[in-house]
Amino acid sequence: MAKTKAILIDITKCIGCMSCEKACKELHGFPQDVEPTLSPTALTVVEDHGDRFVRRMCMSCQDPACASACLVGALKKTDLGPVTYDSSKCIGCRYCIVACPFNVPRYEWSKLVPFVKKCDMCYERQVKGQEPACVEACPVQASISGWRDEILEEAQKRILLDSKYVRHIYGSDEVGGTSVFYISDVPFEKLGFKSVSTQPMPVLTANALGDIPTVVTVGGGLLAGLYWITNRRKQVALAEAQEASRSGGRKDKGHV
Amino acid sequence: MSKFRLPKITFWRSIVTVIFVAGAYAAYARFFLGFQQSTHLADAQPWGLWVGLGTLCGVGISAGGFAIAAAVYLLGFERYRPVVRASVLLSFLGYLSVVTGMAYELGLPWRIWHPIVMWNRRSVLFEVSWCVMLYTTVLALEFSPSLVEKIPFVGLRQFYLKWHHHILIALVLVGAILSSLHQSFLGGLYLLAKGKVDPLWYSSYLPTLFYLSAVPAGLAATIMVVYLCNRSMNARVDPNVLAEMSQIIAPLLYVYAILRGVDLLAHGGAAYLWQWREETFLFWAEIGLFVIAPVILLSRPRVRHNPNALYGTCALVVMGFMANRLNVSITAFQATSGFYYVPMWTEFALTLATVTACAVAFHYAVRYLEILPKNAPVSKLVAAV
Repeated sequence: MAKTKAILIDITKCIGCMSCEKACKELHGFPQDVEPTLSPTALTVVEDHGDRFVRRMCMSCQDPACASACLVGALKKTDLGPVTYDSSKCIGCRYCIVACPFNVPRYEWSKLVPFVKKCDMCYERQVKGQEPACVEACPVQASISGWRDEILEEAQKRILLDSKYVRHIYGSDEVGGTSVFYISDVPFEKLGFKSVSTQPMPVLTANALGDIPTVVTVGGGLLAGLYWITNRRKQVALAEAQEASRSGGRKDKGHV
Repeated sequence: MSKFRLPKITFWRSIVTVIFVAGAYAAYARFFLGFQQSTHLADAQPWGLWVGLGTLCGVGISAGGFAIAAAVYLLGFERYRPVVRASVLLSFLGYLSVVTGMAYELGLPWRIWHPIVMWNRRSVLFEVSWCVMLYTTVLALEFSPSLVEKIPFVGLRQFYLKWHHHILIALVLVGAILSSLHQSFLGGLYLLAKGKVDPLWYSSYLPTLFYLSAVPAGLAATIMVVYLCNRSMNARVDPNVLAEMSQIIAPLLYVYAILRGVDLLAHGGAAYLWQWREETFLFWAEIGLFVIAPVILLSRPRVRHNPNALYGTCALVVMGFMANRLNVSITAFQATSGFYYVPMWTEFALTLATVTACAVAFHYAVRYLEILPKNAPVSKLVAAV
């Protein structure tokens, strides 16, 4: 894979000022209301977990479940890293919402023409070389962005050099790796992070889909073969019946 | 000459009218007020009753068509020929109900054609959508002679039927494969929801389990429909045929139960079997209705050969099957999502109206077309019972 972008969120540094939320809402033209959870008008939110703040957003998985689920390919893992959503393709089936292991995509349930809403890591800004709006707005560098390998290296450096950190980078190998990483001084499960497999989600369905050629060839061959036997039996039965009626007539005469 | 007469008001007509009026309001609410005013769906439960009941049950219960068509045309079970047309029609209408359901299930239904041109071969739903499109077409073609033979133009009629006769075997074969694929892939959809689906229902064998449960449910539904036509319409199908068909159901349920049980043990789901929670009750309700009760009842010749008892047993199979699909699509998500989904009445109303429309269509098809044998001799067994 080419070089991709990533974000590191350092939970120890976040002061809960919600500048990221505001910047995100401003960029997307959403109303500036404070929302407790992700919503169609809140693509990132700062969750309050007592004395720690956890900023939630799309994890931009390396091999996203949503992109494999989407039947029309509206969701896509871009070469740059962000997972984008092409609303012109979406048919509104909502399988992406079922599939996402982090419960990120939101649906516009209240609209008559509803679309899926989720963070796309400011793909358009990043293409132009700008940072994601939320990262740019952070006054204390609790969120930083950059190339994925460099960001991962930075995260590793921080958790190794400072013993307050939990020795894990959330996102480094969750569901095969994501593009948003978290480091924390409080165990992740206490902050509402889901423990997920390190296996990329699409592997789960790839095996089933891989069975299609087998079902078609073996199943088709088997049924065709059975039909051939059925048909052959019918023909034999018919021929025998005809034979019997011809010769049977003679035999009857003989017996009589 | 004939004067227009008002239709007579009967019990069933009144019920159907009420259902259609409620459905019409629900459709209005869905299309002009939106999901929020017509459903209790949420991001924690993005697929609800319309998917669980309308689509998953609709497709599953329609599995009888491919199974019986394959049995008769490919495997030579001539005994079932009298019910082939009824089972194909039942499936065809079932799939039409599923396709109709898409109109209100999808957020942007006018884009339903997108999967034809926008492909994602990694998506299970993509494969399902193609299979359903193709198989609905196959069913329309399989069913078409029933309509075509009513065409008054002899030449056209004979041309079509001759041509149809040539491709029928291929249609049935393709239909069986398409059905096998998407019946199982409907279960495959939930593979991606690992971690969200309760261990009582999550399995990497979900596709196989969906397939193995759809066939007996489809057969049971066909038996029920034929029984009802025998009882309330002019249809005369030998009840022995239905009794024989029911003998296939029990072994299929055995196979299903064994795989389900072994899989639960292997996945560690068995630990949840005796926990005091709603999921466990609903799991046992499902297993009791779908497997335990029918297997016991169908093992008794007295049940198999008593049309009423057979009808009731098949109803248990179908109900158990529906319980399974609703459990997988709704119950199994409750614990992990923390969201208790109870459908809004409009969700029930729209699905019910869609299914009722199919039932009405089936009724008139049996009445005016040659779907079931109408004056076959009454079986000796009926007399015996």
